[in-house]
Amino acid sequence: MRRRAAKTVAFIFVSILALIWLVPIIMMLVVSFMPPDQRAPRFGGLLISGVSLRNYETIFADTEVIRHFINSAAVTIPSVALVVLISSLAAFALARLKFLARDIWFYLLIMTLMLPIPTLVVPIFQINKALGLNDNYLGLILPYTALGVPFAIVILRSFFAGFPIEIEEAARLDGCTRFGIYWRIMMPVSWPAVAVVIIWQFMTSWNEFILALVTMNSVDVKPLTLVPLVYSGQFMMRPGPMFAILTLITLPVILVYYLMQRFMVSGLTAGAVRG
Amino acid sequence: MSRRWLIDNQGLFFMAPAMILFVVFVLYPIFYIFNASMYDWDGINEAVYVGVQNYIEMFTDDRVFAVSIRNSVYWTFLTIFPQMFLGFILAYILTSGVPLQNVFRIIFFMPAIVSPVVLGIVWQRIYAPFGGLLADLGREIGAMFLIQPYIADPKIAIFSTIFVNVWQWTGFSMLMYVAGLQGLSQEVLSAAEVDGAGARQRIQHIILPMLRHVHLTLVLLGVIGTLQTFALVFMLTKGGPNHATEMLPTYIFQKAFTLQSMGYASAVAVVLLVIALSASIFQVRFLGARFTIGG
Repeated sequence: MRRRAAKTVAFIFVSILALIWLVPIIMMLVVSFMPPDQRAPRFGGLLISGVSLRNYETIFADTEVIRHFINSAAVTIPSVALVVLISSLAAFALARLKFLARDIWFYLLIMTLMLPIPTLVVPIFQINKALGLNDNYLGLILPYTALGVPFAIVILRSFFAGFPIEIEEAARLDGCTRFGIYWRIMMPVSWPAVAVVIIWQFMTSWNEFILALVTMNSVDVKPLTLVPLVYSGQFMMRPGPMFAILTLITLPVILVYYLMQRFMVSGLTAGAVRG
Repeated sequence: MSRRWLIDNQGLFFMAPAMILFVVFVLYPIFYIFNASMYDWDGINEAVYVGVQNYIEMFTDDRVFAVSIRNSVYWTFLTIFPQMFLGFILAYILTSGVPLQNVFRIIFFMPAIVSPVVLGIVWQRIYAPFGGLLADLGREIGAMFLIQPYIADPKIAIFSTIFVNVWQWTGFSMLMYVAGLQGLSQEVLSAAEVDGAGARQRIQHIILPMLRHVHLTLVLLGVIGTLQTFALVFMLTKGGPNHATEMLPTYIFQKAFTLQSMGYASAVAVVLLVIALSASIFQVRFLGARFTIGG
C-alpha cells in the first residue's frame, strides 16, 4: 500500500512539473497562432483571443523563410551524412585495427570535445575567408563536420568494440576485407548508435549559431537560426509572426528527435554493457 | 613505405578524412589563436606585434573580462548541481514504472533540443516587465514578488539567464541518469531490498555511488557547456545590461566582430581554451570522467 501511495505522489509531482516545464514551448506555439488584431498578448501570450493562421501567412508572404529553411537543410543534411560516414570509418579503425600512433590520434580527437567552439570562431572565420567559403554552405558544413566527428567517434567506437571478434574472424576466413567487415557486417547492426549520432549531429548543426553568425553575412544564405535577427526590426512590435518563425525553426528538431528518441537511451547505454 | 607497411597500417586510410578535418578546423585554429593573441590586429590592416601586452591588459585592466570570469564561476556551480539534483529525481521517478513515463521523459528532454536562439526570445516574453508572463501572473494573483526586472537589473540578470539554462538542460541530466539507472544491476538492488534497506537508504548507499560515472560525465559536460555558452546570452540579454551577463564567448565575439580587435579576442580565446582544457583534462585524468556514460 505504501508503495502504491508513493507512486501516486510521484506521478502527481512529475505531472505538475511537466506542465510547468512545457510553458515556454506552449507559449511559443500559442503566440504563433495569435490573431493579428490582438495587440498585446496577456500572460506573455499564453492567453489569446482566438486562433488564427495569419501569422504563418504573413511570414510566408513577407519573408524569405522558406529559403532560410532550405539553407538550414542544405547545411545540416550534408554535415549529418558526412559525420556518419567519416566518424564510422574512423571509429572502426580505432576499435578494430592497429596502426601507427592509434592512441595518440584518439586522444587528440577527444581533445576536440573539450574545446569551447567560440575559441575557434576567429580562426575558422579567417580560414573560410582564405578559402573563399564565407557565405557558402561549405563554410559551415566542413567545420560542423569536423566538430561533430569526435563525439560520434566516441559513441560508435564503444559500440564497435563490443562486437564479437568471432564473427569478424569468420568473415576474414571467408575472404572479407577490412572494409567489407566495416561496411557489410558492422554498419548494418549498429543502427542504435548511428541513430544517436544522427540525432545529435542534426540538433547541433540545425541549432548552431555562433559560426553561422560570423560565416553567413549575405541574407540569401543565412540558415534559420539567424532569421530572428534578420527580422527582429520588422517584427519588433508584432510577436505573432516572430513566434511563427520560432515554431518553424523548432519543428524539424522535435520531429527528428521524436522519430529517433527510442534509440537515444539504448544508444547512450550501448557502451555500458561491456562495463 | 612498403606494401607490407601499408597493409599493416590500413587503419590510417580509414582515419584519413577525420584526421584532415581535425588538422584544418581544430589543430590549426589552436595554433592560430596563440599566434594572433600576440598582435594588435583589426582583421584587415597590417597586424602589429605586441608580445604579451593583450594578456597584461586583460588581467590588469579589463573589467568586462573579470565579470565574464565571475559569471562563468556562477554559471558552472548554479547550473551543474541543480541540474544533476533535479535530473536524478526525475530519472528515479521515471524509471520506477509510473504511468506515461516515456511521455514525461520526452517532455522534460524537449527544451534541450530547441535552439537557444528560440528560447532566448521566448524567455524575454516570460521575463518582460509589461505583458510578460511572470509579471502578469504576479499582478493577477497578487504575488507582487513575481514582478521583477529579471533581465534589466544588472544584479539579477545573470541569475535569470542561468535559470533558463537550468530549465533547458535538466532533461539531458535526466536522460543520462535514466540510461545509468537502467544499466544498474537489478540483483544488487533486490538483494538490498531483501536485506530491509528502505528507498532512501538504497538511493544513498547503493544507487548514487553506483552512478558515479554518470555524475562525473555530467560535471565534465556541464563545465564544457558553461564555457561555450553563447547563443542564449546573445539572444536574451546581449551580454547586458552594462556587461552584467557577459560570458567569455560573448566577449570574444564582441571584441572580434563588433570592435574589430581580432588580436585581443584571440587572447581571450586562448585564456578560455586553457581554462577549458585544463579543467577537462583534470577531470578525465584524475577523476576518471568520460564523455559518455558507456564507453
